Amino acid sequence: MDSLHAIGFYVSSGVSVAGGLGVALLPRRDMRGASLLVVAIGVAGIYLALSAGFAAAVALVCYAGVAIALAGPRYRSIDIAVGPIWRQLGAVGAAALLALLAFSAFKGAFAHATFYGGTFGTAGIGRLLFEHDALAVEAVAALILVAFAGGAAAWRARDRTR
Amino acid sequence: MSAGIVSVLFVAAALVAAGAFAAAWRRDLSAALAGVPLMFAGAGVAFVGVARFGAAGGPQLFGQEFAVLLAVASLALVALGVGMAGRESSR
Repeated sequence: MDSLHAIGFYVSSGVSVAGGLGVALLPRRDMRGASLLVVAIGVAGIYLALSAGFAAAVALVCYAGVAIALAGPRYRSIDIAVGPIWRQLGAVGAAALLALLAFSAFKGAFAHATFYGGTFGTAGIGRLLFEHDALAVEAVAALILVAFAGGAAAWRARDRTR
Repeated sequence: MSAGIVSVLFVAAALVAAGAFAAAWRRDLSAALAGVPLMFAGAGVAFVGVARFGAAGGPQLFGQEFAVLLAVASLALVALGVGMAGRESSR
């Protein structure tokens, strides 16, 4: 990776992590939506720096759509009946997850581009599904998106007519 | 200056942990839903990083394609969650 891509990667990483902290910590939903938009821009920048231009475009559109959905007027608030001890345990679990993933990342330098498929043959399956049949897989993904969104909209419309 | 797979995995870990924290800490269910696409974004960054630095033998597109599907799935999940939250709150 040359210096220009490395600078782009580190800048985009800072942007995305700052946006992620905003999503986790900011109190108002419009601010959280804006933070998620910042995450979308940062993640797209990371993908671009990693030579994944198509993934960057799709991620930018999808995560911007998520930000609009979470900051839009259809947002409704539902309180969870969970005690503070469980929330604190969840926060501690998130910290433990960060420590575990950081340790795994620190030990991740063993990868030297020599993997051709392991015991389960996941590389071969991935190559079959996501290289040769990538268009079909993405058509199925789009179908899932339309089905979920349409189902949710119909559910709401049916509930209103009662 | 350069970046490798360790840097990519550190960023992915930060995004996943921030999403897990948001999902666990928020009292509002719809606000907790915002943590899910954050975790998906972290996973996508890890996939793209491994595809960039850990795959050999020509252009390996598996990680990139999976990151694309994760982004689409996160949008579908949030759309469904916001719709269901609207339905529940209208009762």
